[in-house]
Amino acid sequence: MKYFAVLITLLRDRTLFLEEIRQGIKIESKIVSLLISSSIFFAIYGAIIGANSSLPQVISSAVKLPALYLITLIICLPTLFFFDILFGSTLAFNQYAALILTTVSVISVLLFSFAPVTLFFLVSIRDYEFFLLLNIAILALTGVIGVKLFYQGMQFVTEANYKTFKSREPLVKLDEAENPSEDFVSVKDAIPVEDKSQRMRTRLLQFWLFLYALVGSQLGWTLRPFFGAPGEPFQLFRSEIESNFYQQVIRIIFTVLGLQ
Amino acid sequence: MQSDLEELRITQKELENLSGLDVNEVFVGGAWRPSIIRYPKRLLSFVMTEVFTFGLILIFCLPIGLIIARSFGGLTGDVSSTAQFLQTSFGASVASALLWNFYMWQKGKGMKILAHLLDEVDKHNEIIAAVDVIDELGSVKNSTISLIDRKEVLAALTATRESLVCALMTEKILRKHKRFIARRHELFNNIETNLAALQNLQVNNQADEYGQLLNEALEIGMSVHQEIRKFER
Repeated sequence: MKYFAVLITLLRDRTLFLEEIRQGIKIESKIVSLLISSSIFFAIYGAIIGANSSLPQVISSAVKLPALYLITLIICLPTLFFFDILFGSTLAFNQYAALILTTVSVISVLLFSFAPVTLFFLVSIRDYEFFLLLNIAILALTGVIGVKLFYQGMQFVTEANYKTFKSREPLVKLDEAENPSEDFVSVKDAIPVEDKSQRMRTRLLQFWLFLYALVGSQLGWTLRPFFGAPGEPFQLFRSEIESNFYQQVIRIIFTVLGLQ
Repeated sequence: MQSDLEELRITQKELENLSGLDVNEVFVGGAWRPSIIRYPKRLLSFVMTEVFTFGLILIFCLPIGLIIARSFGGLTGDVSSTAQFLQTSFGASVASALLWNFYMWQKGKGMKILAHLLDEVDKHNEIIAAVDVIDELGSVKNSTISLIDRKEVLAALTATRESLVCALMTEKILRKHKRFIARRHELFNNIETNLAALQNLQVNNQADEYGQLLNEALEIGMSVHQEIRKFER
């Protein structure tokens, strides 16, 4: 029952946590702990947003919200892993899984910290559109913070790995220098190639984050309803598949501003 | 805790270094520890882990099932198709949970000896905690409680500790390589010597609480010896 202790360690000392992931220390237990603790936090927040409607919606949202984040992670993780190792990353698949789970866990904790605020507005203002917009704002804010931390975390881990590589490089080359072969590549020549692949990985990460947001929002759209429309009976899913997440957000903003 | 007792304790970090696996109260190397059923606290952790795992499986199975069922037209929105979908998803979740438990059980089968050694380590640490309590009670003014010969108890615990460390190292080496290792005879001999030392101490001290502590230390030593004998076969 030390799942939350792992999460607290992550929140208290992220650098140490990331360093442990980089070194491959207790990766499996970290993954399990973060999976369980983040699911619980997401489920609590999901239940709160579902409480706007009915009890079945509470249960449904408590399952759907953690699923939204965790399934997005599963869908996007192989892309990040295979592209990254193609450009020289030495990290293992479980290390990537742990890294991205740190982000998901941070997002879950941030959402959980917003839970009293959401609960307050749920109780005090019975306005569906406002509640919807408030939650989209909270989800967006926590998502941006989480993604920013993930970006920093990935930079930290890959740069630390790169530095380790650089510090090791001359030792290898010194041995080879005694017997220089035709295909010998000097250290000077080797480093820019690594710098290049490091830059490439950063660009790849930016592209991946965009992909993650895209998959996440579409999955969210597919799994709706999370809130449950007022006055309507409980629906496990919405039968219509047309339209998309972004169109809907713009429509809500227009409605709240009285432009529609 | 006094520093000499603290040094005799086998910490979790040390256990992880010695066994090369993640070790905690419920898991060893990603498999269940058989001792969970003997301790209520561990049993509770085990039950909670099972509940959380099933919850996690549900979180994955239900929405993925929902997307698949919708795509293939198996979910039309009426009550009967929704009930059928929920039944199938729950069934798949229960099957996945059973499969996971079966996998854990299979994994645990290969770690029986390690699990037994870890239980002995727990007992060893419990004895140290008991000695510490006696020490603390003895330090109270006018108290009559004290270990008659603390030095000998510590000597017994040192021997037990060494045996356990040797046994854990042997188990790790054999688990990793599973082939003949030249050093194992040296480790076996070390354990035999420690056991002989423990038996000698036991003969001299049969009575009082001190004798009881020695008895427990000897039991651990015997148990370690038996486990190691299994390697030799």
